[in-house]
This record gives sequence, structure tokens and C-alpha cells, in this order.
Amino acid sequence: MRLHKGLLSVLLASFLVVSGCGSNGQGTPDTSGGQGGNGGEQTLVVVNWKDYGSDDPEMIKAFEESCSCKVVHEYMASEEELLTRLKTGGVGKLDVILPNASILPVAIQEGLLEPIDVDKLENYQYINKTFKNIPENEKDGQVYAVPWVWGSTSIAYNSNVIKDEIDSINVLWDEKYKGQIAFRDDFNDAVMIAAIAANQDPNNPSDMEAVKQKLLEQKPLNRTYWKTGDEFSKLFANNQISIGVAWSGNTAAMKQAGQPIKYVIPKEGAIGWVDNWAIVKDSPHKDLAMKFIDFMIGKDFQTKWVNKGGPAPVNTQVVDNLDPAFVQEMGLDEEAISKLFFISYHTEDEKKAWNELWHEVKAQ
Amino acid sequence: MFKRISSWLYILLIFLFLYTPIAVLVLMSFNESPYNSLPFTFSTKWYSEMAHNQRLIDSTLNSVYIASITAVISVVVATALMLGAAKASPKVKSWVDSVIILPLTVPWLILGLSLLLVLKTLGLDRNFVMLLIGHVVVSLPYAVMVLKARMDGMDHQIEEASYSLGANEWTTFIRITLPMLFPAIIAGAFLAFMISFDNFILSYFLIPIGSSTLPIEIYSSVKFGFTPEINAVSTLILTGTLLLLFVIVLLMRSSLKSMMK
Amino acid sequence: MNERQGNLPFLLNCSRVGDVVKNRIFLMSPAIFIMLAFGVVPLFIMLYYSFLSDGPSPTFTLQNYANFFQKAFYLKLTWKTIQMSLIVTLISIVIAYPAAYIIAKVIQRGQNLLLLFIIIPFWTSQLVRAYSWMNLLQDGGILEMFLRKLHLIGDGSLGILFTQTAVIISLVHIFFPYMVLTIYMSLDKIQPSLLEASKSLGATPFETFRRIVLPLSKPGIVTGSILVFVPCLGVFAEPRILGGPNGSVIGTVIEDQFFEINGWSFGAAIAFILLVMVFLSIWITSRLIKRGD
Repeated sequence: MRLHKGLLSVLLASFLVVSGCGSNGQGTPDTSGGQGGNGGEQTLVVVNWKDYGSDDPEMIKAFEESCSCKVVHEYMASEEELLTRLKTGGVGKLDVILPNASILPVAIQEGLLEPIDVDKLENYQYINKTFKNIPENEKDGQVYAVPWVWGSTSIAYNSNVIKDEIDSINVLWDEKYKGQIAFRDDFNDAVMIAAIAANQDPNNPSDMEAVKQKLLEQKPLNRTYWKTGDEFSKLFANNQISIGVAWSGNTAAMKQAGQPIKYVIPKEGAIGWVDNWAIVKDSPHKDLAMKFIDFMIGKDFQTKWVNKGGPAPVNTQVVDNLDPAFVQEMGLDEEAISKLFFISYHTEDEKKAWNELWHEVKAQ
Repeated sequence: MFKRISSWLYILLIFLFLYTPIAVLVLMSFNESPYNSLPFTFSTKWYSEMAHNQRLIDSTLNSVYIASITAVISVVVATALMLGAAKASPKVKSWVDSVIILPLTVPWLILGLSLLLVLKTLGLDRNFVMLLIGHVVVSLPYAVMVLKARMDGMDHQIEEASYSLGANEWTTFIRITLPMLFPAIIAGAFLAFMISFDNFILSYFLIPIGSSTLPIEIYSSVKFGFTPEINAVSTLILTGTLLLLFVIVLLMRSSLKSMMK
Repeated sequence: MNERQGNLPFLLNCSRVGDVVKNRIFLMSPAIFIMLAFGVVPLFIMLYYSFLSDGPSPTFTLQNYANFFQKAFYLKLTWKTIQMSLIVTLISIVIAYPAAYIIAKVIQRGQNLLLLFIIIPFWTSQLVRAYSWMNLLQDGGILEMFLRKLHLIGDGSLGILFTQTAVIISLVHIFFPYMVLTIYMSLDKIQPSLLEASKSLGATPFETFRRIVLPLSKPGIVTGSILVFVPCLGVFAEPRILGGPNGSVIGTVIEDQFFEINGWSFGAAIAFILLVMVFLSIWITSRLIKRGD
């Protein structure tokens, strides 16, 4: 392993420094070394989320066998971090990445991505056109990102505890559920959901003061805020909360695990997001990258993953074959999709303002 | 007698506080629910999941390597420092003290960030050298602390006696000082190892693209994964440590006895 | 010379063995170098960044600092974080001191083993321990069930989780072992003969403690306090997981600047302000202690 060798050389070097005369000061051995894959096999470097389908060992093995190559996964911590990685040495080393609309325009603008010839992707034609038409994925008529999975951030509740019909986003502001609610601790989700409740355009809220007031009003009703999917699941499964902001994918997984959870897209709408594959500029293995993306949006992969509790597939062939009740329940149908506000790109200044507002609300 | 009983009682209470969450952690690694929810259903599912999670195993090994190297460097540098400081004037000593204690007064978050900014300024990628340096900077003060306590408590007359019997400095160091310092060196290394092993924030800022340590792996797995696997790893590490310590104590006991004779 | 080198396989190639050995002060240089170059210099680089504007072409600006002081809530969060860290430190002193004293002075055998068991929990991830506390403290959780079995509480819920109390409990749990270690180290240095002398001169145990033990263990308390107080200022996971809607701390804000938005220079400014506050509080405390002497 590359890392072990590197560490060994550091150990050796530091040993020399310490045990030597010390007159030449601190040596800084270079451990970066070469990182080309050895052997004849091609190695595809994919940056993705951990445990997020694309690193499923079984499915990746199938892909590796079909193209006699090797897939190496690197994991991202956030979209921002992915962008930073591209800017600081990722270009030319990484092959395929998994960005969303929050960084795509910047990455395209700064020339960090390769344009994708979608005609060469066999499965592109099956992608739901709602997702193909997202403005952030292209520039000057060139496509830079291929939609892969999508999901929504909406409301989920415990159907054993709450018997009422839930159809409005205002349940999150309902005194009746005080102490049972968990709002999401995320500036983007918080601002967007409050904007939807305040009848504003969530991607472009005009009255930030009203959004802040909405969030402040909501705050005392919470049992807690949640940040990671794991936190939400634990809170819910341990009966600490009975209603809250939730992710569609997480909800589906919890339902499959037997939790009494119900997911709704309220009439006012909810947040939608899409994860896309993109190819990094000067990727060493462009053809392989195209094959990988085609595999990821193919019927086979997408069916398997959604059945394992993954987020919603973009491939319409897959959705058509799913249980209609499940499709309706998880908000995968066209009607639900039409109610979603897909997160658009926001400038740094907007993000900072939203972030600051959210911290202010939490600090009150 | 009352003093002794109440003392042990207090120690018992402290350990109860200290180990109850650890017990829960171990318990949850054997609980079938992915959400740590009760009622408890025994299962070894998370252990087999963990055994197949190559990434988790690799990052745990990485953490062990990094922590070991950090511990070795810290303790060697700290021992050198202590030996040097032994002959220094009080003024130099107090100056050295404040330089060494400084990293303890800087939250790790800030230290990690400032080292990252150093890389940014130098135009370098994140790399293992800087990662190790960061770990050494935070671990070294702990090693120094332990060694210093031992040095201060040591009877330096033995060293003087060694000189007066004609031994040179190095003989004295190898035969007298080092054996006397040895327990503190082990303790210092142990502490430095632990500080490095559970350090998330520095690694997070400084680790090269594509590598991972156990704490980083834990933070990224709570995003989509489940924590019982992490509980399982923690339990295994704890058990391993305890076994190792048990063996060491057994070995030390026999060597201690032979020394007494 | 030859004989000396025979004992020194590591230094065989060194021409200046004699110098090094004679002037042992030289041995301090690696540690000093590491600390200055990678502990102190980077802080100045951070200070420099805190005066830059974000974006592709940074310029000198005071905006980052102005922004911090314009919004009252940043100061409020900082103060809240300092308060929380102080409480954790005080509780740690109170519970760690007796433990350290017992291990150092009362128990005659197995001190090392006890100390070892004090630090073994370091082996487990802080994050996973936070989840354990959630299991323990939550309403209907393990602690509540246990207390109810003992009839110590009624049917009401425990109500500890998602309060400041829960955060403080978990932080004390993480950090008080450091306090035990440092206090133990200073107590261990006190010669038993000193205590005997005090006793034979007619001092009560309390007087001995107040006049001799406590002053001599002060350095341990001070170091321990730094080891608890400072890391507490930088935590962000525990307050979020256990603190409920009001769990926010300044660490969360700093974390966000780097992990969520591209606010590097503002993050550097907050970090620097926090650092100044740390130094100030350490300085004030050390002044107070000196005056106490």
C-alpha cells in the first residue's frame, strides 16, 4: 500500500533526523511519490459519498469485471470540499466526481470539468426530462453533468403517534407538536423551508427578515435539530421525535427497516436535489469514466440500488417498474416532482448570508 | 479504615461514571438495531459487516500507524528536550516551558486550520508530512509533561554518584538516567499515541486526498452509514488494548520480581 | 573518544559528538524547533489571513473583524462557549481532585493500573461516546429505566437530553481524565516525609492539606485546567448531538466557515479572536493565582 510505504519513509527520515547530528535541521522527506496504478489494469478514481450506492462492493465488482478495470473510491466531506479538491490538485488525478447544483456552475466556469457527449451514453435517453433540463448542468449548450439520483427534503412523521392527515408545511409551526419536532440543522434547508412556509421563492427569498422571523418562531417548538441522516434515524427510532424535516432516501431506508415512518410532500412544496456525475478535466481515463457513468444510470444498477433503500432513480424505466404504492408514498411520482423546488446555484455571498442568518437564529 | 473504604467507594463511583457510556457503546455493538434503539436484540451482525468493510479496516490501521509514529517521535524529542533542559539555567527552562505548553493553549481546531493555511501559503497539497507534524505538535506537550514530572521527582544524586565513580555522560545516560526515565517514556508514548489516535480535527484538515483515519471514517460514515459498525471497531480496539496491557502487566510483574531479588 | 563512540552507534558519523554531549542544551533544539515552526508561526499566518478578503484576489481588510463585532450573536456565542468550558473545567477539578489524591496518597498498590484505567476510554471515539450518552440520557433511555426500577424517579421523563446539562456531562466525561493525570503527577511529587513532618508538628489533616498539599498541587490543577478548558472551546459535535435547539457554540460557526461555506478568512478571524480570549483568560487566571500566593 502506498500509504504504508510513505509512512515508513517518514519514520525512517525522522529517525535519521533525530539520531543524526541535527546540524542540518529538520528534514522534510517527500512522501507524495508517484501514485500511478501498477499493472496493466486501468484504475478509475471516483470521488463520491461514503456508503452511497456507487461504492457498493457487489455492484462495483460487476462493473470492474465488465470492463476489466479497477475502481478506487475517494470520499468527499461536502460539496465545498469537493470543489476545493478540484482546485487544489484534483485536476488530472481524479476521474469521476459526484457534484450537485451548489458547485456545478463554478466548476464549469473555472474549467475544472470535461464536457460530456451524452449521445455516447446509452442510458441517457431514459433519464426523466425534468432532471435533464436543469440549467446548472450545462453551459453554452454543452452538458457537463449527468443526473444520477435525486431526492427531496420534506416532512416525515411517525404514523403510530400522529394520526392526523399531514399535508401542509405549517405542521412544523404547529404548537400541537411542540417538543416532538426536529428541524434540520442546515442553513440551506432551514432558509428554503422557512421561505416556502412564508410563501416566498425558496431559491431566491426576497424578504430575509421574514424568513428569520419564521425560523425564530419555529425554534422553541423543536425537541432538537438534526444534522446527519444517522442522527435523524436515531432520534426517530428512539422515539425522541415524532415529526420533522427528513430526507426521502433516509425515510425509505428507515421504512424498509420496519420503522412506522410516513413521508409527505406538503402542498406548499418541498426541497428537491439531484446528484450528478461529472468527469474531471484532463481525466486520465475518460473512456472508462463514460462507461462508469453509463453503468451508474443504467437500469440494472438503478433498480438494484433503489431496492436496497437508495434515493430515487432518474431512470424512468426503473420507476415504471416499481410498486406504484411505494412510488406514491415516497413522492417519486410526477405530481410530487412537480411540487419540488430544486436547489439552484447560490453565490458565495448568498451562502454566507444564509449561513449567518441561520447561526443567528440558533444563537438566540 | 473508614478512609480507605470511602476512598475505594469514590474511585468506584468515578469508574462507574467513566465506564457506563463505554459499556453502552459495547452493548450497542451487539444490538441488532442500526439506530441503537431498544429493546436489545443480540446480534453479531455489525462485527461481520465491519470485517467486510475494508475501508474501515484500512483507516483504522492508518490511525495506528500515524499514532505510533507520532508517539515515537514525540517521546524521542521530548526525552532529548528533558535531557537538554536538565542543565539549562532556570530562565531558559521557564522559557522552554512556555514554548512547549503553547500548543496546549491553542484549540486543535485553530491549530489544524493554521497548519492548513501554511500549506495554502506554500502552495502545497495536503500531505502526510504535515499531518504527522500536526499530530506531533499536539502530542509532544503531553509526552513532555509526563517526562518532566518524572524528571522532577527523580533522585539526581544517583547520576552524580555515577559521574563521581568515573562514568562518562553517555554511560550514565544509558545505565542510569534512561532506566529511571523508562516508565515515564512508556507512559508518555502511550499518552501521545492516544492523543493522536482519536484526533479528528487535525487529520481532517491535513490528510491527503483519498486517505482516511478512523476518526475521519467515523465522521463520514454518520452521513449515510450506521454507527454500530463503529461501535464494533471501538469494542475490538478496547479489547485488544486490554489484552495487550494484561500481557504487559504480566511480563512486567515477573521482571519486577526478579529485580527485587 | 573511541570508547565513547563505541557506546553510540547512532552517532558514529557525527564529528561533533563531544560538543553535543558537553553542551546538552543542544538536545532541546528539535522540540523547540517543532513548536516554534509548526505551533507558533502558523498562528501568525492565520492572523495574516484574517485580515484578507475572501475571493480570488484577496485584499487587506478589517471587514472580518468588523463583521464579528457588528453582530451581537457572535460575541454571545463566544461568551456562552467560554462559560460552558469554565463550568466543565470547574466540575472536572472538583471530581478529579479527590480521585487523584486517593490514587496518589491513599492507595498503596496498583496506582499505575488505576491511572491506566482512567485513560483507557480515550481509545474510543468521542463521537460514538456522544451517541452512548444519547442512549443513556434520553427520555425512556437506559438511565431513566434504571432510576425507575430503583423508584428514584416517578413516571415523568428524565428531561436531561437536549439541554446544556447533557452537553456538560459528556464533556466532563471526555476531559476530566486529563485533570486526574496532571493533579496526580503533582501530588505524587510530594514527599511523604513532608506530610509526616506536618503531622508531627501538630497540624490537623485539614491544615496539612490546606497548607501543604493544596499549594503543592496547584501546578497540576493549572495544567489540568488548561487541558480541559482549551479543547472544550473548540468542540462542536457534542453540543450539536446532545444540546438540543440551543446547543450552538462558537466551534459550530468556525466549523461551518471551512466545511460548509468558503469563509476562510472570516473563520480565521473568529479563530483568532477566540485565541486572544484564551490567552487573556489564562493570563488573568495566572495573575490571580500569583496574587493568591
